[in-house]
Amino acid sequence: MSEKRAAAYRLGLITLLILAVLTIAEFYVAVALESIVLLFIIALVKAAIIIQNFMHVTRLWREESH
Amino acid sequence: MSAVTTHAHDSHAEAHDHEVPYEVQLKSNRLGLWLFLFSEIFLFGALFVTRFVLWGNTRPELSQEVGLFATSILLFSSYFMYRSEVGAAHGDQKTFLRSALIAAGLGLLFLLSVIVLEWNVFGLSGEIAGIEIFGHLKPSDGVYGGVFFAMTGMHALHVISGVFLILVIWWNGRKRRFTPERHWGVEGTAIYWHYVDVVWIFFYPALYLMGQPV
Repeated sequence: MSEKRAAAYRLGLITLLILAVLTIAEFYVAVALESIVLLFIIALVKAAIIIQNFMHVTRLWREESH
Repeated sequence: MSAVTTHAHDSHAEAHDHEVPYEVQLKSNRLGLWLFLFSEIFLFGALFVTRFVLWGNTRPELSQEVGLFATSILLFSSYFMYRSEVGAAHGDQKTFLRSALIAAGLGLLFLLSVIVLEWNVFGLSGEIAGIEIFGHLKPSDGVYGGVFFAMTGMHALHVISGVFLILVIWWNGRKRRFTPERHWGVEGTAIYWHYVDVVWIFFYPALYLMGQPV
């Protein structure tokens, strides 16, 4: 397996773990703190991580093919 | 005869000259897809705002376990779609196809959990380990039912189209129609599928976690 491909798979796994932790944190924030603002901030962070790591938004302005 | 051949050759060469380079085409495709997704923000954003206008700091009594289960399923589906795209981009055919199929399967499971458990279209009732797994909210239950079914229904429509697209790229992938150099179909489908996940990331807390249950 090439180094680049292994790094890409690793990034996916790390992203999944971060999202899972944030989802559990979200659940506990709702139960314990009941803070709408905090829940909204967590949702924004989760969305930003997916847009950056999974949707590759930077490819829009980067000069490259596949 | 020779003149006809020369003319045909010239036409072909001319057509070739006007062909848009793949890199340019790819950039246009990406921009087009992102503009489409941006336009979808208005649709989902309107539903999101409607929830806060009509429900305020309240929410209907929904099964927290079912909500968390559905969210986790969609999260894993997004991860496998990512793996599928990485596989296609690096010529890892086995990972590409297998992950695409898992992503589609998890998408269907999410859909089933919404339709069978949350919408409870079969009117079932029952508990697992003391947890009520079938929903009781109806579309006719005032603003709570209306907003809940509008939000989850519009999202479910996007899940259906996403699963269909994943199955299309899986089918084409089996026929080896994608290469590491040219796999826009896979990339575009992955971006769309992650977008569906991003929408749910906002819908999940808005429906299940924010506000006081009534």
